[in-house]
Amino acid sequence: MSKSATLACREQFRTPAQQRETASVGMWIFLANEVMMFGALFTAYTVYRASHPQAFDIGSADMNIMLGSINTALLLTSSLMLSFAEHSAQAGNRRLIALFLILTMIIGAVFLGLKFTEYYQHFQEHKAPGVWFNDSSPYANSIQMFFVFYFIMTGLHAVHMIIGIGILAGLLFRTIIGTMTAEYHTPILFGGLYWHFVDIVWIFLYAIFYLPGLHL
Amino acid sequence: MNEPALSLKKYIFAWLGLLGLTLVTTLIAFVDLGVWSAVIEIGIAAIMASMVAGFLMHAFYETKLIKLIIAAAIIWFLVMITLTLGDYMTRGWLPFPGK
Repeated sequence: MSKSATLACREQFRTPAQQRETASVGMWIFLANEVMMFGALFTAYTVYRASHPQAFDIGSADMNIMLGSINTALLLTSSLMLSFAEHSAQAGNRRLIALFLILTMIIGAVFLGLKFTEYYQHFQEHKAPGVWFNDSSPYANSIQMFFVFYFIMTGLHAVHMIIGIGILAGLLFRTIIGTMTAEYHTPILFGGLYWHFVDIVWIFLYAIFYLPGLHL
Repeated sequence: MNEPALSLKKYIFAWLGLLGLTLVTTLIAFVDLGVWSAVIEIGIAAIMASMVAGFLMHAFYETKLIKLIIAAAIIWFLVMITLTLGDYMTRGWLPFPGK
């Protein structure tokens, strides 16, 4: 039995299909947990936005829509690159897996760079909550609350991106040393699931933080 | 193997669709539609999320068990947000007319 066949069906499983399904259930339950974590934040955001609708619109108008929409496109493209990596993994083409994993990581890093540029701009404009915040409008406190949600939620998302890049780096290493083959490449598919999930979170973050203030 | 495998064409179409919807939702956001703005923005985000989950994460091609887990996650979130908002609204803590 070759090494990849052993990895594809470890001794506690009857068939590779059973092993994959078991792993798959575990991965999706983990993602359901992630939905719970982000879900609580989205619920809190909804309550505050419903309580302070004008302030949240004004706060949202301070977002840099150019960087925000470029970041959305970048993240969607990184997900496409990772799907290509998964496709190459199913064909067992290690060179292509490595290439697309590297492209995904580079695009992810550019996303983070733009995100931190935005954070820097918010600090410069005294929009970061706490001692840095300075706003003379009558809605100042509620606007500050908008920025609390903005920094916590996009920050948690950025942490997920950093972890994601780490996971992809691990997958890249395992691809280079030859562990990933056409028979066994489940880790690449699951790394992909995580990355795509983080993408979904961003789609909603974009909708709730960048879009509400555009019409002002 | 019971592993969902999609053609490259499907991935590329999904990606183009997602970029298109991003453009559409951003352009719509420039128009003031009152309360409907938020409904449309979240609605389009939900469509985009299901495209990512369905095609890039292969959820449309997964087994019933995986679909059940996804449904449980979504329903759990909807229950939480419905009960929370229901509580706030019926106490009159949110600035909505009629209460």
